Amino acid sequence: MRKRASVSGFTLSLGAPVMASLSEEVLLVVKRVRQRKQDGTLYLMAERIAWGPEGKDRFTVSHLYADIRCQKISPDGKAKIQLQLVLHTGESTTFHFANESTALKDRDATKELLQQLLPKFKKKANKELEEKNRMLQEDPVLFQLYKDLVVSQVISAEEFWANRLSLNSVEHSLSNNNKQDVGISAAFLADIRPQTDGCNGLRYNLTSDIIESIFRTYPTVKQKYAENVPHSMTEKEFWTRFFQSHYFHRDRINTGQQDIFSECAKQDEKGLKSMVTQGVKNPMVDLLSLEDKTLDEGYGTATAPTTSNPSNKSLRENSNSAIIKRFNHHSAMVLAAGLRKTDAPNDQASETSSTDGNSRDSDFFQPPVKKVKLQEAIEYDDLQGDSGRRTIALNLKKSDRYSHGPIPLQSQHYSSSQDIINSISIIQHEMRNYKPRLTQVMSSSAASSAITALSPGGLLMQSGGQQTINQLVPTDVQSELKHLYTAVGELLRHFWSCFPVNTPFLEEKVVKMKSNLERFQLTKLRPFQEKIQRQYLSTNLTGHLEEMLQAAYNKFQAWQTRRMMRKT
Amino acid sequence: MKLNIDGLLVYFPYDYIYPEQYSYMLELKRTLDAKGHGVLEMPSGTGKTISLLSLIVAYQKAYPLEVTKLVYCSRTVPEIEKVVEELRKLMDYYARQTETKNDFLALALSSRKNLCIHPEVSSLRFGKEVDGKCHSLTASYIRAQHHSNPSQPVCQFYEKFDAVGRQVPIPPGIYNLDDLKDFGRRKGWCPYFLARYAILHANIVVYSYHYLLDPKIADLVSKELAKKSVVVFDEAHNIDNVCIDSMSVNITRRTLDRCQTNVETLQNTISRIKETDAAKLREEYRRLVEGLKEANVARETDIYLSNPVLPDEILQEAVPGSIRTAEHFVGFIKRFLEYLKARLRIHHVVQESAPQFLKDIYEKVCIDRKPLRFCAERLRSLLRTLEIADIADFSPITLISHFATLVSTYSKGFTIIIEPFEDKTPTIANPVLHFSCMDPSIAIKPVFGRFQSVIITSGTLSPLDIYPRILDFRPVTMASFTMTLARTCLCPLIVGRGNDQVAMTSKFETREDFAVIRNYGNLLLEMSAIVPDGIVAFFTSYIYMENIVASWYEQGILENIQRNKLIFIETQDAAETSMALEKYQEACENGRGAILLSVARGKVSEGIDFVHHFGRAVIMFGVPYVYTQSRILKARLEYLRDQFQIRENDFLTFDAMRHAAQCVGRAIRGKTDYGLMIFADKRYARADKRGKLPRWIQEHLTDGSLNLTIDETVQLSKHFLRQMAQPFRQEDQLGLSLLTLEQLQSEDMLQKIAQIAQQA
Repeated sequence: MRKRASVSGFTLSLGAPVMASLSEEVLLVVKRVRQRKQDGTLYLMAERIAWGPEGKDRFTVSHLYADIRCQKISPDGKAKIQLQLVLHTGESTTFHFANESTALKDRDATKELLQQLLPKFKKKANKELEEKNRMLQEDPVLFQLYKDLVVSQVISAEEFWANRLSLNSVEHSLSNNNKQDVGISAAFLADIRPQTDGCNGLRYNLTSDIIESIFRTYPTVKQKYAENVPHSMTEKEFWTRFFQSHYFHRDRINTGQQDIFSECAKQDEKGLKSMVTQGVKNPMVDLLSLEDKTLDEGYGTATAPTTSNPSNKSLRENSNSAIIKRFNHHSAMVLAAGLRKTDAPNDQASETSSTDGNSRDSDFFQPPVKKVKLQEAIEYDDLQGDSGRRTIALNLKKSDRYSHGPIPLQSQHYSSSQDIINSISIIQHEMRNYKPRLTQVMSSSAASSAITALSPGGLLMQSGGQQTINQLVPTDVQSELKHLYTAVGELLRHFWSCFPVNTPFLEEKVVKMKSNLERFQLTKLRPFQEKIQRQYLSTNLTGHLEEMLQAAYNKFQAWQTRRMMRKT
Repeated sequence: MKLNIDGLLVYFPYDYIYPEQYSYMLELKRTLDAKGHGVLEMPSGTGKTISLLSLIVAYQKAYPLEVTKLVYCSRTVPEIEKVVEELRKLMDYYARQTETKNDFLALALSSRKNLCIHPEVSSLRFGKEVDGKCHSLTASYIRAQHHSNPSQPVCQFYEKFDAVGRQVPIPPGIYNLDDLKDFGRRKGWCPYFLARYAILHANIVVYSYHYLLDPKIADLVSKELAKKSVVVFDEAHNIDNVCIDSMSVNITRRTLDRCQTNVETLQNTISRIKETDAAKLREEYRRLVEGLKEANVARETDIYLSNPVLPDEILQEAVPGSIRTAEHFVGFIKRFLEYLKARLRIHHVVQESAPQFLKDIYEKVCIDRKPLRFCAERLRSLLRTLEIADIADFSPITLISHFATLVSTYSKGFTIIIEPFEDKTPTIANPVLHFSCMDPSIAIKPVFGRFQSVIITSGTLSPLDIYPRILDFRPVTMASFTMTLARTCLCPLIVGRGNDQVAMTSKFETREDFAVIRNYGNLLLEMSAIVPDGIVAFFTSYIYMENIVASWYEQGILENIQRNKLIFIETQDAAETSMALEKYQEACENGRGAILLSVARGKVSEGIDFVHHFGRAVIMFGVPYVYTQSRILKARLEYLRDQFQIRENDFLTFDAMRHAAQCVGRAIRGKTDYGLMIFADKRYARADKRGKLPRWIQEHLTDGSLNLTIDETVQLSKHFLRQMAQPFRQEDQLGLSLLTLEQLQSEDMLQKIAQIAQQA
């Protein structure tokens, strides 16, 4: 159950720079909280939870909500009232609420606020992790690189991801995710399984998801919630009443007067009625106008008219039909809740048109839906020839551009298809009139020597090193070399991306990167070279790698000397 | 393509044809050649309508003197409109192929509610109101009053039609209901009366059964249709019930009370007219003495419902003297009314025949048979003379007069049952007099007699031979066609027990059994987990469904189903059900998937198709027997046994199976469609039930799938659905279940086709 913290909306500004951003919204302040046997104050802020020891104006403990995996509390009845935060890294921090009189209350307040806050951040954190995880799983090369660089601690994970994962994309997908609403499970009410708590009571476990589902499906309940919570009752009370109410229960017949939900039931009824009277858009399912000539009252064998008075229906029957009504309504609401947001404006339009279609003097507007439905109903797609495969015609404004792809516009000289056709015909024409000038051809001996030189193994084809390396070097060395290449490539990418070095941050980074490169050379490249030597592989396989590294070092040297010059 | 059907050139508006369509046309041609009647059963979704239209239109073009008109009767308004659209397709094809202008006139006719364009009248909601309002604007005396008093409102659309509409024939073409309205708007003519006039010279008329089978309406609308017409009853599996309904009357105490007020109004009007315009009444009296037929003078707009008895039963003599004057007639009706009231004051059920009733009424209140027979005619004349504008208000007294005429005209085939209360509520007095027709052949007899060829066709007419028996006619062709399939796209399964081996059945003794209900629920739950998109489930009756839904709810089964799909349920309110249906389709459309719980014999099971993803599985919970305790049904069964030698059980099973077949057949609407058909009752496995399913379903029922458990059903269904999910292209069908013209002409294909039709 949520509860607004009593100190909410109070802004704290502390001068010390250690406290990060200058002013944060403080949602809850709890005094006399001990951490490592030290008294202090716990602050719950918009994005993090922090603790500072008594008398000092800096936080010694500060966790972003996103870093927190879960919170644990000491069981009721224990002497120490504690709250433990477990981080994603596995570390944990324990707070001990020491204020004798209000310890329990304080702890619960903190817990509940955290309960609300954590899921919001968790999603984001998880999303990021998930995204990273996904990238690693999808891309084996990246995974290898990650192993080479991060696991072996050449660079830190953050550095690795820093420009790999454009955070934008995560954010983007996140925001996208928010936009695309998750539908509502039709059985969300069924998921609230009541559990007996052993002493004649029922416990309902409500999650925020379920509450959200209830609100989205039954706007009237949301309205009631807004009206009553927290002015006239607590949230807990509200939901208790909800579950006690006949509104929640099957037949909804005996909703008492004092029940706050009786109004909801009435409104639902009204909603259902209005849905019914609005009628249906699809004339093919309109049962009212199905029959062409209904028999007049009194004709026919069916004894229909007698059922019209509800008084002689038993209570049981009434409640049964109420269940049926309720299911129809529930399903319709769930369906509508799923669609509501996506095409709200759309819906409006179609609604107005539907009312138009239904009011009978504007018959002019009615046919389209009907025509379409009729055509659909009489279509046999397999009897028809090819027309079944309906394609959309490509609407080209400039077909030339389409066939040639985008071409820089300033060069107005591009060949249109007509030009190409013309030139082809010219070439064809020329080929037809082609006569070899035999006097000017190469001598046959020269020609044959050129051919031998160009065939495999010939003079000009000897440096086909690929094949030799393939054959000479064992595959494990090859794959190791490949990994080295990608790793070096990655490090160099980081390195080169620092240029031009124009901020202090980049300066710092470039130095770090250089040392990374050196470390890499030392820890990875050297052992590899030694290994090759041990295996007597004569070919200088790592030459190119070293060249690349050297080039980077040279660049670094040049940059450093220039910087020195500037400084002096 | 152009086909040669037994020497007749048939234009078929598609590039390909199903073998069974060809076979169907062959049989149809034979029937027309023989100028006889036919009963043809062809699976739904195999293009029955277009085959019918193609052949009959070709026949009409080839032998314009043999067949002058096609009267196509269907059941529902959407159905009617579909037929006209198919016809339009065919005619467009003709026009393209022959490059001549279409000279055919085809039109749909429907009630005023669907055709009226008068802004005020058409905005009324109910058909009866529209009819009544229309009458109050177009009756001949209203129009006469308008002449002398221009402030009297009349319908300008009818006026315009009356002035010029009849001289200028409506140009040839295909007119659907909306087209008629458009045409009417353009010309300013009343589309309804235009259509009613135009059907007389139209080549093709499409309308609902009632216009031909209900004597009250048929006499007004279809009286002058040519004899050389071909009449087609499509979706005719329920035709016997339509016939019976059109001749039956129920009278409750409320009817009598309202009738009483009618009588009082009549009396007042008579005495008022007597003071002001006595000549009018004298004139009527004179006409009645001379025995002038009402029809000769009555205008089309004056009559709301015609005589309820068949035309050849209407007496062609003068109205008897005892009811000739208006006062006498009203007195007569009053006496009759009092008699009926007395009859309803009973405490036990009474059942008697028409002659018994007549004898009793003669003894008690001295009412003779002859004046009773004239009751309907006499009342019509009186209402006209009195210039009653709001004729709809007088429906109770019209009903009584119809009852009087019917009961005194037919001595056989009818029964009178007076029940003091409903069976379910024996403490609440609610007396009803049922005057019930038991012989469907009475209403349809004139149709068979009058028209040279009557075709009865539907997707489910099995067993074929029962229809000629209950409708009392001799067909020249009776055939049932199978569905040729390149892949078995229907999968009928009979589930006989639950996983706990408890038999599953809706048998009366066990239907409330907890285990049965739970097993039914489990079946639906399991299916909801494996079937994509839409599932439709049918129950045997509305009350049974309510009970089951309630106990499923209590057992938490519905909640579990909701995890898989949304649930929608048919209710007794048509508007509510329409909404549920639309939402159901929406849920299927957007991929959520839904379940529709519905009732066999309900509106959904009769009128709504669940094509493709709207119905991937149909589950029939139980055998949909009609409520056998009804006295009307018992009387009918007795009659069937005595008159037609049809055993009660045979008829009940036949009736149950045709409804079951209708329900499961809703899911398959073509060869590219596929669906599971699950019969959840062990009784379906018995030969007498199974054998009454249509052939095209029966032949896919293997011996192995006759008594499955839920688990086995799920396994088989999974397998089937996986197979069906494979891509299905036209090439797969070609040569097997889909033919080109060349393939059709090959010798062995023709031999194969000959086997498709099974003569009954």
